[in-house]
Amino acid sequence: MNANNKPLTSHSITPVIAASYIGPSLMPNGNALWEEHELPLNADGLVQDIMGQPMRRAGRFIKMVACGGLACLQQVSLDYLKGKKTGIFLATGLGNVDEILPFITEVFKHGGGFPSPNQFANSVSNAAAFVLARICDVTGTVLTISQEELSFESALWLAQTYLESDQIELALVGGCDIFTPTVEEYRARVNLNCGNSRRMPMGEGSSWLLLGRDDERNIGEILAVDFSEKKGLPDENDLADLMQHGNKIRAKNRIVLPGFRTKQTDDGFWRQNGWEIDDYLPCCGIHSTAAAFGLAFALRGKPSSLLLHYNFHASGKQAFVLASTKSL
Amino acid sequence: MIGENIYVRGWGAVTTLGWSAAEAARHLIAGMAPPATAGGSSHLTNRALNVFEVPYQGNPLDKAMTMLDSALAEAFRRADLSAEEIAESSVLVGTTGGLFIRNEFEFTEAVRNNPDTQSPAISCRNRGPGEVADLIVSKYGIHGLALTFSMACVSSSHALVVAADLIKRKKIRRAIVVGFEPLLNMTLHGFASLLLFDYERCRPFCATRAGMQIGEGAAVVILEAQKDFPAKYKFTGGYQYNDIKSMTSAGIDGVTVSKVVQQSLGIAQVSADDVVAVKAHGTGTRDNDLSEGRGLVKFFGEKLPPVVSLKGAVGHTLGAAGAVETALWISCSEEGTIPRSFGFSEIDPEIGFAPSQENMEARHGAYLFTYFGFGGTCTSYLIIKE
Repeated sequence: MNANNKPLTSHSITPVIAASYIGPSLMPNGNALWEEHELPLNADGLVQDIMGQPMRRAGRFIKMVACGGLACLQQVSLDYLKGKKTGIFLATGLGNVDEILPFITEVFKHGGGFPSPNQFANSVSNAAAFVLARICDVTGTVLTISQEELSFESALWLAQTYLESDQIELALVGGCDIFTPTVEEYRARVNLNCGNSRRMPMGEGSSWLLLGRDDERNIGEILAVDFSEKKGLPDENDLADLMQHGNKIRAKNRIVLPGFRTKQTDDGFWRQNGWEIDDYLPCCGIHSTAAAFGLAFALRGKPSSLLLHYNFHASGKQAFVLASTKSL
Repeated sequence: MIGENIYVRGWGAVTTLGWSAAEAARHLIAGMAPPATAGGSSHLTNRALNVFEVPYQGNPLDKAMTMLDSALAEAFRRADLSAEEIAESSVLVGTTGGLFIRNEFEFTEAVRNNPDTQSPAISCRNRGPGEVADLIVSKYGIHGLALTFSMACVSSSHALVVAADLIKRKKIRRAIVVGFEPLLNMTLHGFASLLLFDYERCRPFCATRAGMQIGEGAAVVILEAQKDFPAKYKFTGGYQYNDIKSMTSAGIDGVTVSKVVQQSLGIAQVSADDVVAVKAHGTGTRDNDLSEGRGLVKFFGEKLPPVVSLKGAVGHTLGAAGAVETALWISCSEEGTIPRSFGFSEIDPEIGFAPSQENMEARHGAYLFTYFGFGGTCTSYLIIKE
């Protein structure tokens, strides 16, 4: 509830300057076939492509965060943040399990293992945001936010409030979660059981939006981020509430992006209301911050559209992100 | 910044000094804060790493859950919140380990119960740091925002600053800010591997200091814009900063610390002369205490107010430190006393001052809180006792 006892909704329209995504195939802003059983792919080639040099002491999570954030900035220019008050909002459901697991395995090794100090340093929750902030030379607000499958929506909501209050001029908001074996344990970490999600392969991603006012570069807008206590699929009333923020948008297409908790997409309901469904999950697989991938994917590839991402928390709590893209 | 004043409406804490903030405060004031000892919990693997452990008969997972429940119950009771008020609140959690304790407990139990079989690899099935907020939301039927900051030592201090900001801008009505950090082998061995662990005792700002010692804790601080509840602790001057020069130090020249404090006082519109005392981060590591000590001297000069670190008494509670130390400080203040620092014996000439060695009267005025964490994170705020 906010101070006026209304559900949590961000109403401020936030321009999107750039969007970028990296999925499990590790192809920035491109699609390629990938298989769950082949994950995780080696990220060194990606690092070389994006960073121009190796990151020898970093694990996959830090590499993915750094590459994802930088790939987004490369859509404008690496100097774009210079002189501007910028905030970094890293959303991650699970954090750096990739480095935590081998570290704790050494800790518990029979007879005493050799826990690596470098691995521990990298496993600390905000190490990845620090590395990205350092690369981007951002010294102000740098936050690592985690709220399971609603981590990205929560970070986006918070970034909007910072922009709205003029504490920052730009916000680099991203979601990153990586595949760490085994599949069965990864599914447990994402709380996938009892049929509480769609049946899809597990995946990973590092997907980012650069938000802020720049009329020349604006590719779209985040119109609303909305959390609702109501359980179940969205209905006519939910849609009517959300469309208060989207009715003025002239869009050729209305596209629904269903998150991984949506067991059924209720095609009839959406079609009846003039929406088409675009399922982005086959491009990135299930991961806690897949919403970031879905939104970045659509913001880049669906011009002149009104976009609605919706997902649920395992408890049933709904989260909506309404966005629009410019005409080409 | 626009908006209303933000007040602390309630608080609670579970630490090595007791199962409530009030009990811990009485121990602190009476000087009853024994040094860290070898951990007794069944999941701890290295008894050489002394810890500030919460006393409990039972398994470590149950203990962690009970710590969280107790801190929440104490805070709700003190705030006199109805079930409806709790439900309309928002929850902001600061934690690094989340419920990782479950992995460690299950693994050590499996090994203990199967002594004749080869140990399996440890499983990691916890759902990330956000799981703690999820538990609280589910237990109390909370409808508001749930947000978790997983930012090492500043996790809950950052959560406090963000919460105050969101209340001020009417984005949320009330914030239940939680710090939660059970003892983990992961962090104990982690800091030991970084050679940041003091095997003797925690000695903040002391010339003989050799590192930190870890404590466990759960704490809750409830923030709200002043309305119709009796309030005398104003939360103001919240400032968070990210220093990108070093992942592990806020710069031993003290410049960053001095700037952070300056910003915080500027936001609060409080002059340096009006600061009654400083609740320092004071971890006992060489670098933290050097950068913080020098920074405080740089900023306050000869008018440095009394400086207290609570870590010699309760240990470094990592992501919970912000909420834990705020709750303990306010409880001490309610008893009319600001406690002394523990674990100090010799001035470090590079720092140039001794942390407060005597209890002092908790008079009205501004108290400065500072936190400097891994990854260049810095938080500072003031609590003004009215």
